[in-house]
Amino acid sequence: MPLYLPIAELSMNIFLVIGMGAVVGFLSGMFGVGGGFLMTPLLIFSGVPPAVAVATESNEITAASVSGALAHWRRQGVDVKMGIVLIAGGAVGSFIGAQVFTYLRSLGQVDLMISLAYVLFLGSVGGLMFWESVRAILRQRQGIVPKPKSREDRHKAWIHALPFKMRFRKSRLYISALLPLGIGMFVGVLAAIMGVGGGFVMVPAMIYLLGMPTNVVVGTSLFQIIFVTALTTIFHSVNTQTVDIFLAVLLLFGAVIGAQMGARMGLRLKAEQLRALLALLVLLVCFKMGVDLVVEPTELFSVGEGGSH
Amino acid sequence: MRVQLFILGLFAFVFGSGAIALVTDLSNKRIEIRYSFDGADLILFGAVGSSAVDPTSDEFDVVIVVRGPETETVIRQKQKVGPIWINANSLSFPTAPGYYAVAASRPLSDIASDAAFASYGIGFDHLPLLARTDRGLAAPDPDFRAALFRLQASQDLFRQERDQVTHVGEGLFKTDIRLPANVPVGEFIVETFIFRDGSIVARNRIPLAVDKEGFERAAYDFAHNYPFWYGLTAVLVALSAGWLAGVLGKK
Repeated sequence: MPLYLPIAELSMNIFLVIGMGAVVGFLSGMFGVGGGFLMTPLLIFSGVPPAVAVATESNEITAASVSGALAHWRRQGVDVKMGIVLIAGGAVGSFIGAQVFTYLRSLGQVDLMISLAYVLFLGSVGGLMFWESVRAILRQRQGIVPKPKSREDRHKAWIHALPFKMRFRKSRLYISALLPLGIGMFVGVLAAIMGVGGGFVMVPAMIYLLGMPTNVVVGTSLFQIIFVTALTTIFHSVNTQTVDIFLAVLLLFGAVIGAQMGARMGLRLKAEQLRALLALLVLLVCFKMGVDLVVEPTELFSVGEGGSH
Repeated sequence: MRVQLFILGLFAFVFGSGAIALVTDLSNKRIEIRYSFDGADLILFGAVGSSAVDPTSDEFDVVIVVRGPETETVIRQKQKVGPIWINANSLSFPTAPGYYAVAASRPLSDIASDAAFASYGIGFDHLPLLARTDRGLAAPDPDFRAALFRLQASQDLFRQERDQVTHVGEGLFKTDIRLPANVPVGEFIVETFIFRDGSIVARNRIPLAVDKEGFERAAYDFAHNYPFWYGLTAVLVALSAGWLAGVLGKK
C-alpha cells in the first residue's frame, strides 16, 4: 500500500516502513540500544534523501526514548543534575551540528559527511566493543575473573585537574562540569549530523570517563537523548524542513512492536554474546558505508539535494 | 462510458465548428497529491478537424510534449579523491523542467528532420537549457546535460520516445501520460503538434495542474511556512506517541 510522505516528497510502501521500524526495533530491543545508527542508514539505503533520514530519525528517537527514560525515572535511575549539564552541552553541540549539516547540504557534501561519520564512529566503537566482548568471552572460558577497579582508580589525574568542579550527588561524584559539558556537546553534534541518539558514545564515556555508577548511566543518557534529539528535530525543521512526522510515527509504530519481541529474545542470550553480536552488527553497517565510499559508483553523476523548490 | 461520451462530444465540437483544426483534452486537468498518491496516469484525447488536415484521407503525425514547472536542478559529479569518491564538480540548471515527456505516433526521426525539431524546440536535445556559472548563464557542459537527462529519465521524470500516440481513426488520437510519484508540483503545459510531411500544420496547448491537496498540502505548508512550530509539533507528537507506546507496551 503506497503512502505519500508530504515532507520527504516521495511515495513509500507503508508496510515496508513499518517493517523497517520493526526490524530495527527488534534489534534495539534485543541489544538494549537506541537503534538510530541502524535506522538512519537503512532509510538512506531504501532511497530516503539523507537529510530527511537524519532529521526524521532524530524525531523518532525522541519518541523511542520516552518510555525507557520514564521507567528509569521511576526507579530513581536518572541523575537530573548531571542530565541537565549534559543537555546544556548537547544543545550547543546539536546547534553546531545542524549548522554544519545545513552548510554541507548546500555544498552537496552532506552524504559524504554522514558516511564518513558513520564509518569513523561505528568502526571505532564497534571495533572496541568487539575486542572487549571477545576478550570477556575468552576469559570466562579460561575461568579468569578480572579484579574490579576501585572508583577512585577510574579517574585519571588530568580529570581532577580541571576547573569548575561540581557536585553530582546521585552519581556520587565531585568533578569538573566541563567534562559532562564536553561529552554532551560531542554527542549533540553526532545527533545532529548522524541521526542517532548518541548513547553508544555517551554510555561508555559516562562509565569510563566520568566514572558514574552503572545504575544511573542508562537513565541519565536517555534523559539527555530526549531533550537533545528534540532540539535537533527543531533545528533541522527550521534549517532544512526535512523532518517528516508521518515517517517518524510509522517507524515508531513498527519499532514498538519489534522492541517487545527483541527484548524477549535478548533475555535468552548472555551479555557477552549480545555485545559481540551487537559489535558485529555495528561493524557490518560501518563496512557497508565504507564500501560505498571506496568502490567506484556505476553512476558518477547525481541530482543534488536542496536545489528544488 | 464516460470516455465514449467524451469522444462523441469532441467529434461534435470539431466537425461542428469547422474553423478549429485541432482540439485536445485531458481525462483529468488537475492532479491532486494525497496520502495514497503513487503517480498518476492521464489520457490525452485529441481530434484533428478539417481545415488543415483532412483526417479521412491525409496521413498525419502527432507529437505531444508535456512540460512540468521549471525547477532549479543541481547535477553533481563524483571524483576520486584519495581512496574515496566524493562529489567534486556541480552544475546548476536554473530552468530545467521538473518533468518532460515527449510522446509521438511514430519514432521522431520518421516524423521530421532533427533540424525541424530543433527549430520548434521539441525533444530533450533541443530544450534551451542554460547552466548557472560565475559569468552568468552559459551553455552547459554536454556531459552534465546528458547526465541530467539520464538521471531524470531513470526517475521517470523525463520520458522521450517511450509513450506512443495511437490513431483511433477518423482524425482522432490518444496517448497516455504517466506522472511518477515524485512528480514536482506546479503548472504543467501539454502541447500537441500535428506534423505532415515533416512540418507542423497545427498546434495547441492546454494546461495541467499538479498540486498537493488537503492534509498533504497543509502539512507541507506548515513545515515550510512555520518551521519552528512544525518542529515543536513534531517533538510533541513524538513525546506523546512515545509515552503512549510505553503505556501500551506494558500491557
